[in-house]
Amino acid sequence: MSQPHPIGQYLIRTEPYYRPTGDEVELYRAAYMVRMPMMLKGPTGCGKTRFVEYMAWHLGRPLITIACHEDMTASDLVGRHLLDASGTRWQDGPLTLAVRFGAICYLDEIVEARQDTTVVLHPLADARRMLPLEKKGELVEAHSDFQLVISYNPGYQSIIKDLKQSTKQRFGALDFGWPPRDAEIEIVVHESGVTPDLAGRLVSVGERARNLKGHGLDEGLSTRMLVYAGSLIAQGVEPLAACRAALVGPVTDDLDIRDALDAVIKTFF
Amino acid sequence: MAAPTSSSAGVPFSAIERRLACYLRALWGRPATLRDAGRRARVSIVAGAICMPNIFPAGAGEGIALHRAAAAHAAAHLVHSMHRFPLAKLRPIQVAIVSLIEDARIERLAWQDLPGLRRLWLRFHVALPDAIPNATSLMARLARALIDPDYRDHDGWVAKGRELFEAHGARLHDPSMSREIGALLGNDLGQMRMQFDYGRYLVEPAYRDDNAFLWEFPENKSAPPPESEPAVLAGTVTLETAGAIGGDRADQSPDRARREISPPQAVPAMEVPEAPPHRYPEWDYVIGVHRPAWCTVRERRAESGDPRAIDEILTRHEEVAARVARLVRSAQVGHAARLRRQVEGNDLDLDAAITAMADLRAGRTPSSRVYQRPGRIRRDLAVLWLLDLSRSTNDVVPGAGETILALARAATAVVAEAIATADDSFALHGFDSSGREDVGYYRFKDFDEPYAEGARARLAAMTGQRSTRMGAALRHAGHLLSQRRTARKLIVLVTDGAPHDIDVHDRWYLALDAKRAVDEQRRAGIATFCVSLDPGADAYVTRIFGAGNYLVLDHLRRLPEKLALVYLRWAAA
Repeated sequence: MSQPHPIGQYLIRTEPYYRPTGDEVELYRAAYMVRMPMMLKGPTGCGKTRFVEYMAWHLGRPLITIACHEDMTASDLVGRHLLDASGTRWQDGPLTLAVRFGAICYLDEIVEARQDTTVVLHPLADARRMLPLEKKGELVEAHSDFQLVISYNPGYQSIIKDLKQSTKQRFGALDFGWPPRDAEIEIVVHESGVTPDLAGRLVSVGERARNLKGHGLDEGLSTRMLVYAGSLIAQGVEPLAACRAALVGPVTDDLDIRDALDAVIKTFF
Repeated sequence: MAAPTSSSAGVPFSAIERRLACYLRALWGRPATLRDAGRRARVSIVAGAICMPNIFPAGAGEGIALHRAAAAHAAAHLVHSMHRFPLAKLRPIQVAIVSLIEDARIERLAWQDLPGLRRLWLRFHVALPDAIPNATSLMARLARALIDPDYRDHDGWVAKGRELFEAHGARLHDPSMSREIGALLGNDLGQMRMQFDYGRYLVEPAYRDDNAFLWEFPENKSAPPPESEPAVLAGTVTLETAGAIGGDRADQSPDRARREISPPQAVPAMEVPEAPPHRYPEWDYVIGVHRPAWCTVRERRAESGDPRAIDEILTRHEEVAARVARLVRSAQVGHAARLRRQVEGNDLDLDAAITAMADLRAGRTPSSRVYQRPGRIRRDLAVLWLLDLSRSTNDVVPGAGETILALARAATAVVAEAIATADDSFALHGFDSSGREDVGYYRFKDFDEPYAEGARARLAAMTGQRSTRMGAALRHAGHLLSQRRTARKLIVLVTDGAPHDIDVHDRWYLALDAKRAVDEQRRAGIATFCVSLDPGADAYVTRIFGAGNYLVLDHLRRLPEKLALVYLRWAAA
C-alpha cells in the first residue's frame, strides 16, 4: 500500500465558488507561474480567502492556511523539536511542510503576527527560495511548486501593526475591495439562495451602511455579512430581524449608529 | 411599523442629532450639516445646513419618525434641488404650489433609489378627500395624491395636478417641470377664487421644509440668505416670533443652554511656584566646553482660554480622533502576552522544557524556568510633550488654511484626549525664548494633573511668539522628567524649524547645543523624539536627535495620527 502524500489532505477537491471582479485570476495565475509571493489586500469579508482557495483549486495545488495571531512565534511556523520515548524528534511546522512538498502557503492576517516572526519569510520570499531551520541545522530548498501568499487588511490594521518595508517589498499585491453591485448581488444569491431582488436589497443596505465607515463604523459591512443575512432570510427568518441579527448587531453597540442602520434597513425592506 | 422610540411628546432634536446625521450620511454618502433651529414650526435649509426645529409643534406627528422624515426630505432637496427658482412675477399661491410640486419631484427621485423613504413620508400625509375645499386643504390633498397612488380624490383640481405630474414623469430630473406645473395649477386655484392667506400658510405635512431656499429673492440674488433671516417665503410662520413675545425664546439646545449656565470662567492657571529662574549650561561647539549657567529658563503662567475651543477641534477632527482613540485602545488591550520561561505557570513552555531535557541528558544542570503563563506586560512610561511656541508657528500651512500652531494644538488635543485614559502619565509643556536670559516655559498640563477643563483651557489659549532656544528648553524638560519615578522617560518635541534665537547668529551653535542636550539626557535615561513640521528639517534633525529619533512630517494634516504613532511605538516597546 502506498504511503499517503504528506500534504494530500490539503488538496481542494471541489471547485470553490468565486466570482471574479476584474483580472485578478489572470494576474494571480501569471504570478504563480513565476512563483512570485503575493499579498492580498482588502477589508475583511471581501473574498480574499475564498479567492486563494479558488486559485489553489484552479492550479491544482494543495493549500496550507495559517491564521496568524500576535502570540505566534517563528517555531509555530517552521516547526519544533518534540520529545518522544527515544529522545527528541523534529516536527515540521505548516510553513516547512508547504515548502518541502510544494503547496501554496497562505498566511491569513499576516500583520497580526509580530514583526520578528514575519522575518522568517524573507529568505523564502526572494530569489533564494529557501527556509533555514535553525534549530535543526537544516536548509530546506523550496519545492518548485511552493508559493507564499499573505493577506493583509489595511483598514483596521493600525499603524503600529504594519509590515516592515523589507517584508512588503518582497510581494506582489492584489487589491480587493467590495465587489461591484451586480457582482455582489450574484454572490449573495449564489451563497445564500435568496432571490436576486432580495439580494439586491441586501446589497443596497450594505452599500449605504458602508457610507458610515469612519463615521461611526470601523469597517464597512462585508459581503460575508450580507451572505449571512441572506442565509437567515432563506431559512425563513423575517428580513428585518435577519438584517438586525446579521448586519447591525455584530458591527456596533453604539445606539445612534444602530438606529441609523435600522432606518437604512427599513428603507429597503 | 413603529419607530424605535416614539412618543407623543416628541423627542427633542438635540437628543437625536447624531443618529439623524448618521442616517443621512448612510443614505446619501455625504456629510449633512444639521443645526438646532430652536422653536420653529418647520425645517428650513440655510446655506446648505438643515435647520431642524428642536421639537415639532404638538400634534404634528410622533417623535423621531417626524424628525427622520424631515431630515430625509431636506437631504433629498439638497441632493436634487440644484437650482433656485426666480421669484419673477409669481403670485404667492403659485410660489406655494411650485414648491409643493418641487417637493413631490425630489421625493419621487429619492424614493426611486431608496424605496423605504416613501413609506416613511407617506404616514404623514393624512389629508382626506372630504375636507372643506379651501386652498390649504386642496394643496395638502394634492401633496398626498402625488405620493400615494392608492389615494382617491374626486376634486378636479387635485386630479389635474396628479395627471400633469404623472405626464411629466420622464422629466423628473428637470426642476423646470415644477415651475411649469406649479404656475399652471396656481393659476387655476386663483381662478377658483380660493382664499390663500400666505401670512398664515404652513407647509403640510409637517416634515416638509419651508421651501424658502428654493427661491431666489430679488434683494439677495447673489448671497444666500443669512441664518438669522426668518423664513421669508410667502409668510411662512415661524414660532420664533411667538416665542419672542412670550419672552422665552428657547432656540438653544439643552446642551448649549447648560454650557451657557457656566460661562467660560477664568480657569485658574496651574500653580506655578514662584520659584527662582532655572539656570542651565549651554554647549559652545566653537570652544568645545559648556558655558556654565548660561541660559535662564523662566516658568510662566500659561493663559487660560475657552476650553470649548478644544471641544470644537475634536468635533472637527472627529474621524481622526476616533481613529487615534482606537489605536490607543487597541495598543492597550493588545498588551496581554504569554510570559515564557517562568519558574511557575499553568503550561509547560515547550521550548524551555526541551532545552531542559536536552541539558539533563547531556548531564548539565537544567534551568527550572520551564513554564509559561498568560500575563500582562506593564508599561512604565512617562511622556512629556514639548511644544515649540515660536513665532513661526503662526504661519499658515499652505493648503490647510490653518496655522502650524492651530494644527499642533489640534493634534495635541486629539492625542491627549486619547491617551488621557491610558495609565501612563503625560505632561504637555511648551517653550519659547528671547535671548539666553529669557527662555519661557509653560505648563499646559502637568504630570499629576488630570487632563480636564483647566488643561484644555490652557491648551486653547497657547500662542506663538518669540524664538526657539531648544537646548535650554530640553534641559528643563529633562530636569522635570527626571523627577518622575518611571522606568522609561520620553520627551516628544514638536517643532516647526531649526533652533534659533535673537542673540545667536551662528546657525550651528544652537543646533549643536540641542544635540548636546539630547545626548546628555540619553545618558540620564531620558529619550528624546522630535516631530518636525519643517519640510527642510532633514538637514539638521538627524544631527540633533540621531537617526530613527525623529519624524519629518510631509503632510501636516496627518500630525495627530503621527503623534499618536510616536506615542504608541514607545508605549508598546
